[in-house]
Amino acid sequence: MSHLTLFQLNALVKKTLEDNLDATHWVVAEIGEMRLNQKGHCYMELVEKEGNFVSAKIKANIWSYTYRNLSGWFESITKTPLQQGMKILFNVSVQFHEVYGMSLNIKDIDPNFTLGERARKKQEVIQRLIDEGIFEDNKMLNLPEVPQRIGIISSETSAGYGDFISHLKSNSRGLTFNTSIFPALMQGDTASDSIIASLLKINNDIDQFDLVVMIRGGGAQSDLDCFDEFELASYIAQFPIPVITGIGHERDETITDLVAHTKMKTPTDVADFLINGLERVDDSLNDSIFRIHQSGNTKLSNSKTHLNQINSNMKIGVIQNIQRAQTVLDRKSDEFKYKAKESLRLNEQRLLHAQDKLLVKSLMYIDMNNQTLSNFEKQFELLEPSSILKRGYSISRINGKLIKNLKVSSNDEMVTEYSEGLVVSVVKTTNK
Amino acid sequence: MTKKTSYKVALARIEAIVDIVENQEPDVDELAELVKEGTKLIALCKEKLKNTESELNESLKQLDQND
Repeated sequence: MSHLTLFQLNALVKKTLEDNLDATHWVVAEIGEMRLNQKGHCYMELVEKEGNFVSAKIKANIWSYTYRNLSGWFESITKTPLQQGMKILFNVSVQFHEVYGMSLNIKDIDPNFTLGERARKKQEVIQRLIDEGIFEDNKMLNLPEVPQRIGIISSETSAGYGDFISHLKSNSRGLTFNTSIFPALMQGDTASDSIIASLLKINNDIDQFDLVVMIRGGGAQSDLDCFDEFELASYIAQFPIPVITGIGHERDETITDLVAHTKMKTPTDVADFLINGLERVDDSLNDSIFRIHQSGNTKLSNSKTHLNQINSNMKIGVIQNIQRAQTVLDRKSDEFKYKAKESLRLNEQRLLHAQDKLLVKSLMYIDMNNQTLSNFEKQFELLEPSSILKRGYSISRINGKLIKNLKVSSNDEMVTEYSEGLVVSVVKTTNK
Repeated sequence: MTKKTSYKVALARIEAIVDIVENQEPDVDELAELVKEGTKLIALCKEKLKNTESELNESLKQLDQND
């Protein structure tokens, strides 16, 4: 019976493959394992899965030169490096080696496939949200000045929720937040409905909340599917208060992140965001207090200076006034002294004058009277009988009687008085 | 007429005596009496004037001393 050696068989397989297969094929597969060797060659194990069941598996390699080009390009387009778990569209050639068996040599990768069905679907959802005019709605809301009343949508038992709460409470300034948990499933087919139910509960009590925080711990990418669903995104976009996400993933944002008011990576980041916001308010308040204090102090000090100025001005003014009044008084006093002296002097003069006049008039009066009296005296001197006698007159008496108006008879004895003495004669005759 | 007679009255009397002597032609005896009286009165008046002058001087002297 004719037979082949093993090598002949393997050679035949190799030839059959070469004869029947195209040079290259485009194949969709998931990277099951992946490693680089020292020379830069990449070795992978490609798989195809249905759930947890592996339905196909094959070894593959990318030679170092090709790998450098492909991986760089892939990353520039998808923003993620090639890595385990990725579903990728490869261009491969099938190789069969007589010793090492079958493997795929990867020639090319189509990154658009990796952006993938999910991305395309995601884009459709985004477009629908835009078309309905609600895509930006939540972003347009203003964050409250002091967001302290927080509705949390999360799984109560998740590590992400625990991280968030402990981080929020252990802030260095002791800022307080009032949190209320609204439990929801954060992964799986029913997550979307569960989250919407919690949103509705918050909406019923909307006045009690400043914002909604939606958080979960990390997890596999596939777990994020629910956050790309249109219905949930639509609720979040139109929610009346800001929604902040911390869904915890590294890949492109989910649609929930895109429509949320603010997207943070992890629950801890959300807590930091809230704390920072409040710290800014706190800082601004402290700053205001500081400025009020400072401007108060400045005003106070200015006022003090002003008051002191006024006070010293007033002192100067008072002193000047007193000096002026003093000067006026001094002048008045001098004037008064002068006037008094003047008046005294005038009166003295008047008195002296009066005195002189009195003296002169008195002397004149006395003089005049002396004169008058002297005149009288002279007159009397002349009238005196002795002086008459001296002028040659004589006085004759008969019987002691003056002969004036007297009847004189002959032989009457007549006594005649003259200046030298008496003559006694006898009347001889009378001639009447 | 005594020493207490005022100067004014004395002077009036002297003038009256002059008037009598000039206008009423008294006789020699009356004249002698009148002249005697007039001369006495003149002396009295002179005395009074003299006193007055010295009193005046005294007063003025006191006034000067008080200055």
